[in-house]
Amino acid sequence: MGSVSLLFQHLMNGLTLGGIYALIALGYTMVYGILKFINFAHGDILMVGAYIGLFAFDALRGSSPLGPWWLVSFFIAMVISMLGCAVLGMVIEKVAYKPLRKGSRLAPLLSAIGVSFILSNGAAWMFGTHSRKFNYPFDNSPIHLGGVVVTPHQILILVVAIVMMVALKLFVDKTKMGKAMRATSLDGDTAKLMGINSDMIISLTFGIGSALAACGGMLIALDYKVYATMGTMVGLKAFVAAVVGGIGNITGAMLGGFLLGLLETFGVAVLGIPQGFKDAIAFAVLILILLLKPEGLLGKVEKEKV
Amino acid sequence: MLNFFILILIYTCIYAFMSLGQNLITGYSGMLSLCAAGFFAIGSYTTAILTTSFGWSFWATLPIAALLSALMGVLIGLPTLRLKGDYLAIATLGFAEIVRNIINNWDALTNGPMGIQRIPMITIFGIKISPYQKYGFLLMEIIMLLICWFLFERLASSRMGRALEAIREDEIAANSMGINVTKYKVVSFALGAAVTGIAGCLQAEFTLSVSPGSYVFMVSIMVLCTVVLGGMGNFVAVILGAFIIQFISYLPQLIGLSNIIPAQAKQIIFGLILVIMMIYRPQGILGRKERNNKKAEKNWLLNKKEAINEHA
Amino acid sequence: MKKFLAIALIAVVAMTAVFANGSSESASSEIKIGFIGPLTGDYANYGTLCRQAVQMAIDECNAKGGVNGSTVKLIAEDSEGDPNKAYAAMEKLANTDKVCAVVGPVLTGEAFSVGPIACELGVLAVTPSASHKDVTNQGDYIFRTTPSDGLQGEVAGKYWYQILGYRKLAVLYAKNDYSQGLYEGMKEAFEADGGQVVAVETFMVGDKDFKTQLTKLKNTDAEAIYIPDYTAEMAQILEQASQLGVDKPFLSGDGFLSEEIYQLAGEYTDGVVYTASAQLEETSLVKEFRDAYTAKWGIGPDSFATNSYDATNILLSVIAKVGTDRKAIRDGFAAVKDYEGVNGTINFAENGDLVAYQGIYEVEGNTPKYVGAFKIENGKVVKVN
Repeated sequence: MGSVSLLFQHLMNGLTLGGIYALIALGYTMVYGILKFINFAHGDILMVGAYIGLFAFDALRGSSPLGPWWLVSFFIAMVISMLGCAVLGMVIEKVAYKPLRKGSRLAPLLSAIGVSFILSNGAAWMFGTHSRKFNYPFDNSPIHLGGVVVTPHQILILVVAIVMMVALKLFVDKTKMGKAMRATSLDGDTAKLMGINSDMIISLTFGIGSALAACGGMLIALDYKVYATMGTMVGLKAFVAAVVGGIGNITGAMLGGFLLGLLETFGVAVLGIPQGFKDAIAFAVLILILLLKPEGLLGKVEKEKV
Repeated sequence: MLNFFILILIYTCIYAFMSLGQNLITGYSGMLSLCAAGFFAIGSYTTAILTTSFGWSFWATLPIAALLSALMGVLIGLPTLRLKGDYLAIATLGFAEIVRNIINNWDALTNGPMGIQRIPMITIFGIKISPYQKYGFLLMEIIMLLICWFLFERLASSRMGRALEAIREDEIAANSMGINVTKYKVVSFALGAAVTGIAGCLQAEFTLSVSPGSYVFMVSIMVLCTVVLGGMGNFVAVILGAFIIQFISYLPQLIGLSNIIPAQAKQIIFGLILVIMMIYRPQGILGRKERNNKKAEKNWLLNKKEAINEHA
Repeated sequence: MKKFLAIALIAVVAMTAVFANGSSESASSEIKIGFIGPLTGDYANYGTLCRQAVQMAIDECNAKGGVNGSTVKLIAEDSEGDPNKAYAAMEKLANTDKVCAVVGPVLTGEAFSVGPIACELGVLAVTPSASHKDVTNQGDYIFRTTPSDGLQGEVAGKYWYQILGYRKLAVLYAKNDYSQGLYEGMKEAFEADGGQVVAVETFMVGDKDFKTQLTKLKNTDAEAIYIPDYTAEMAQILEQASQLGVDKPFLSGDGFLSEEIYQLAGEYTDGVVYTASAQLEETSLVKEFRDAYTAKWGIGPDSFATNSYDATNILLSVIAKVGTDRKAIRDGFAAVKDYEGVNGTINFAENGDLVAYQGIYEVEGNTPKYVGAFKIENGKVVKVN
């Protein structure tokens, strides 16, 4: 393997890792954009989505052999899981976050931590602590492109992440609902005065964010397996990605995700930093970015009012 | 049973130190910091390394640990102070992760994932304060905690405390009133870090061993919960918060339920408590301590009256 | 506000009093055994496997009428993987529950915080899995039923060099005590023979993406890759290695002794050679245990489970012999000779270390094939007959 193709291999690895972060960061950034608080439970909703998807998929495919039906089942399972998580997300919002909207900024953060505890431990209690395999619904044999090895799964993640981003962007920028979302995000009270049902909009945003988490959860579960704490670390990383990209900004979340993935890969692969320091390097660079551009890469500078 | 209760109190004290620091940073200055685990680790490892590799006494390591933590506090505080709210949270969280990375990977210094064992016990005037004889250890902790608490309480009622509160309420206004925002923020970060470092020293001396598994992200979260649950901006409240958090997390063991209920139940109940608490009592159990302004107001009025009289 | 607080406090204290009274009374004919391990958190799976095995051994014992007519009761405490919680658990088991001995703790970090207090309180702690070489050197009251990293690593290093003929190895290990301990033990023995570890990559516990490390290792001149890791991570490594087209053989340690890995990694496990405790022959005992465990818990046992099962059974047999005095149990435990467990013949060294042969296994068609038991004699690895 030549050094050029090695570089491309690392690039590919970094991009797909980044794709995973980006996919989850999308949901994060949506929720944050409108509610302005870190939804710590996002990673756990992702985990619930993966479990729902796994059970639905296994039930649908039954004992049939690998074939087109598996792919169909996978997408049906994904729809079920996304719907399930959307409902879950809305319920969580209604119960645990809505009553706190007027209070301090810390209250919803702590409430979210509480929800995260409940979800992850509830799942461990109900489903056990072992990892479960999520079978690939397609043949995942690697494809060789020159010296670079890529799996169909990696491509799928990249494609889904980009499609999701574009769809979200269009939804937020072009539709009436999206406009209402932006208005609520900018100023909830004024939006209310303008006749926007901001409670409904917030609830909807939460639903969409959670559905995105479920989709991401199922896709990463193919590679990472399904277990109760699967969302914690990846959720945290995705949040970091969202912040770096400029939280509340959909393109920024994408950019932040890819940047984080590439940083983690190249810091180790090219700069020769010991792997153990991978997270340290990623975080150090992120802190640096925040110092140079405190509002994140694509974030808008918010004028402070006195 | 009583024995176990004392143990809870010992852990409470260790957490109380951390929550004093977090309270100064978050409760008073309004900065959302998530790096208690990082300072905690620095304190623990300073004591562990200096006592085992260099044969220092615990008391000599204590100021070094506090100083090192404070230095780290300044190091992270200075550049990140421009960041607001959640951006600061991420930067500080990143810092704590970097510390954990370093202690887990710098094998030559920290012995990596194996941790450091056989930390010598604390001695005071030749008397060993064994963690196994819990009362002595607890007494020492309480004395140290009282000293710290007293100092922090004094600090809070001083000019600096008022400045910090002003910054929390409205940074721009505080700045235009001539308060040196950066200075006060950095100092509060450093002091908060130092006292968290001290908690780390005590932790190392209690279990007589350190390993990276004790300094995870969850510690920072728990300390934040302690402060919010107790009542932000109120030192007595956060110490009470530390007790309540420790009490809750060891309650099943204390009352002999831990073997009966599933292991996850405790965590789930803790999650529920957090949610319910935030809905019904977001200001914490005791709430913020309101400054007694009556006296100040009176003085102000008196002064004004005198001034008017003089003019007349 | 004050009222709220007062009511809350009174309620809590009252509750404590009520429950405390309830729990302190227990049948005098009951023998209590404690367990400490992570039942929640990132390591929950390993703690759960252990606890289930301990529970099973105790249930089996009770079904046969208990120990000398008394029923045995398990008191399991969750350590969350945190050394401080483990310490508190030991404190509670020893002083509140007054257990006569403890199986655990599960993790090395926990063993280091529990070790000193176990010795101080004089309560025997038998860890089924803390493999760091210093764990048993903390005092007289800590034993283990898992080989120390030194022992397993030594057999591994010498076997890779002398029998498999590898001269250059690459290693991918987790930055945790277990994984690093095995790597260090293996490296020492392998390099003493003249081999060379040409590339070392690490990862943090919780990582799920190993493509960067594997891409780097793929491009070294190592003949094989040693992955002394936990089950879930190894499954991940093997799968991603195959995706990246890494064609070097993999070598591993006793983390591989789990059926879970075949469920998670399937055909990618083929060809892996690993060290684990020796089973001199596939005794009926082993098969019975595996079937019973799988039937009871719905998942196959791994080395965590088998080690815990042996630890508990030895403990019960010692209690049957010497009674419930803690000191007597410790001495009885140290005197155990040639105990036939699911892990083969078990003896303990002076310091509490397990003395046992190491087994070598090769995976073929999703099932481990037993190559044989090995020991080190004059620096040579020899097969035990």
